[in-house]
Order: sequence, then C-alpha cells, then structure tokens
Amino acid sequence: MPVQNGLVYLKNKVVGNSSFFEDIDKLKRENESLKDQKSEIEKSLREIEIIKAENATLKEYLNIKEKYSEYEIVPAYIINKDISNYTNVVVINVGKDSGIDVNMTVIADEGLVGHVISVTDNTAKVQTITDTASVVTSTVSTTKDSIIVRGTLEADSQLKATYIPTDASIVEGDRVETSGIGGVYPKGIYIGKIKQVINTNNIIDRYALVETAVNFRKLETVAVIKK
Amino acid sequence: MKKFISIVLIILVFLLIFLLQSNFFEWFTIAGVKPNLLVILVLFIGLYAGRKVGAFVGFTLGMILDCFINKTIGISAIMFLAIGFLGGYFDKNFDKEIKVTIILMVIGSTCIYEIGKYIFDIFTNNIMVEIGGFAKILCIEVLYNSIITIIFYPLLKKGGYYLENSFKTKQVLTRYF
Repeated sequence: MPVQNGLVYLKNKVVGNSSFFEDIDKLKRENESLKDQKSEIEKSLREIEIIKAENATLKEYLNIKEKYSEYEIVPAYIINKDISNYTNVVVINVGKDSGIDVNMTVIADEGLVGHVISVTDNTAKVQTITDTASVVTSTVSTTKDSIIVRGTLEADSQLKATYIPTDASIVEGDRVETSGIGGVYPKGIYIGKIKQVINTNNIIDRYALVETAVNFRKLETVAVIKK
Repeated sequence: MKKFISIVLIILVFLLIFLLQSNFFEWFTIAGVKPNLLVILVLFIGLYAGRKVGAFVGFTLGMILDCFINKTIGISAIMFLAIGFLGGYFDKNFDKEIKVTIILMVIGSTCIYEIGKYIFDIFTNNIMVEIGGFAKILCIEVLYNSIITIIFYPLLKKGGYYLENSFKTKQVLTRYF
C-alpha cells in the first residue's frame, strides 16, 4: 500500500507539472493583456486629470463671468511670473489682438489682481496689487471710509492700508473694495479684508494690514475687464 | 567653433535659470525669498570670459529679461552690464581660485545689482521705499546665492575655464616672470 500511495503521489505530481508548464504560456498572455489594460487605465486617468483641470478653469471663468456680469471680460492665463523678489509682475496670454490695452483692470474669481501696464499683440504685463509700486484707492465696505492700499515687500499676500481717516473705526475682518477713484480700477471690486490695525502714537500715522483675497502664489486663471 | 558652443551653452544656461527662477524657486525659497542665479551667471561670464564679453552678455540677457517680464525696459540690462564689467575687474584684481574670494564676489555683485535696481525702481516706478523689508530680503538672497555658489562651485569653475579658453586669447604673462 505505501508503494501504491507513493506511485499515485508521483503520478499526480507529473500530471500537475505538465499542466503547470501549459499554464505558463497562458499566464504570459494574461500578463501581457493586463499590462496593456494597465497602460490604458493610466492613459485614461491622465486624460481625466486634464479634463478635471480644464473643468476647474472653466468653472472659475464662469464664476468670474457671473460675478462681474456688468463688465465685458476677457479670460486669460498667467504664462509667466516675475523672477525678482522685489517686484510682482505677471504676464498673461492675451494682448492687443484680444482688445487688451494699458490700464485695464485684471481680476480673479476671488477678487482684484492688478492692472495692465504694457501690451504686445499676444501678451500683456500685469502689475499686481502686491507690487510695491501699486497704489489702489479703496473703501472699507462696512464704514465707507476711504483708504489707500499699497503693496509691500513684507509678504506675498499682504497690503498696507494708509491714509486712514482719524475718525474712521476700522476693525479686523472689515472688507476692503476698490473705490473707483483714480480711473484705473472700477468701483466695488473686492480686494481683501483687514487683518490687523496698527495704532501708532500719532493717529494720523496709523495703518492697517490687508490680507488679499487672491492667493497670488497659486494664481493661474484671471480675466481682464475691457473698458 | 569653441566660441559658438560657448554662446549656445550660455543661452541654454540662461533659459534653464529663467525656468528655475520662475517655477522651481517660486516654491523652493528661504523665508519666501528666491535666489538670483542670473547675477551668478553674469558674474562668472565676466570673471572668466573678460569684462567686454561679460558686459555684452549681461546687457543682452538683462534686455531680454526686461522685455519679457520687467516693468521698465533697460534697468536690468544696465545692472547686468555693470555686473559683467565688474566680473572682469574682479578677475584682474583678485584671485578667482580661492573659494572665499568667489563667494565674496557673489555677495558683492548681488548687493550691487539689487541695490542699484531698487534705486532705479524708486525713481522710475515711484515705489514705496521700505529699507527694513528690502534689507531683510537682500540678506536672505545673498545667503541663498552664496549657498548655491558653494554647492555648484566645481561646476561653475569648469564652465568658467571653458569660457576662458573660448574667449580669452592666450597671452604670455610677462609680469609674473
């Protein structure tokens, strides 16, 4: 009996091995087809990612269009950023050919970005509100007090609000909007909110820090308001 | 032929630096401050290829930069011209084989470029003067440029010697004998 058991065991092994060798080809074929499937799925995933990004951009444009429906706007992408630590200028992909001109206002979904300082046929340079040369006459939306908002070197998304009227009661969290005075920026475009009011010995010198609504580090999609 | 290859290399390095400055270094900062690699590039060109080549390359690269991204055309061009010229002056008066001297040259050039550009900006763009903020950014930028110079010194030296062989005519240094 043990001999018989041994023989049966050997027979089973040999039969198993032959099927094992038959299976290798099958497994190879399966492996190839699975690899093909995997690359197809990866390709589809990449396409989905691109579509997602496009969708987000289009949604952003739609939001801008709805929010600023009273203006005629031209959508644009940021194609280049300033390489200096001291200035904040961006280049957008629309220019004279799209009807863009100097001093036109540039906005994003969240709020004000800046204004056009020079144009070529297909591009335009935009000086952002965080640039140290930027000055925006604004109002505090709750109290309607007029202030001047300037860009600083201190932080990327921070502005300095000066010329605060002595009788003005500005508090943290107040919304700051463009006043329309000066002729560059239209009235009522959201700039940001008051982050901190810094009181000095002389009340005339007091100033406030304004946190911009736009995150300039992640800014990609903008729109130009045509005059 | 060597000159042509050198010019192509300078253009390629400029493009690479421009891409790094506007993309990679937007995120890879020290306390939010980016380095200024173009100052290092122009300084090394002036240092190894001579003041004329340095000034010419500096002016050309600065002009390209001004046309593409800067607010006022000409400021960067003038400042880079000065840095290229300064590189040639450093070559005549200092030993460029010593690492410390090179780092001091980078520190000096970065300071001269940024201070000069800032002063130009004050007059041309009516910017708000912030001495404290400017000094803070400048210090970090100088530190960043120095670190990069230390890290890439062997590569910069190699590239520098290639430029020297391409642009400088072989001369017998009689004053040493």
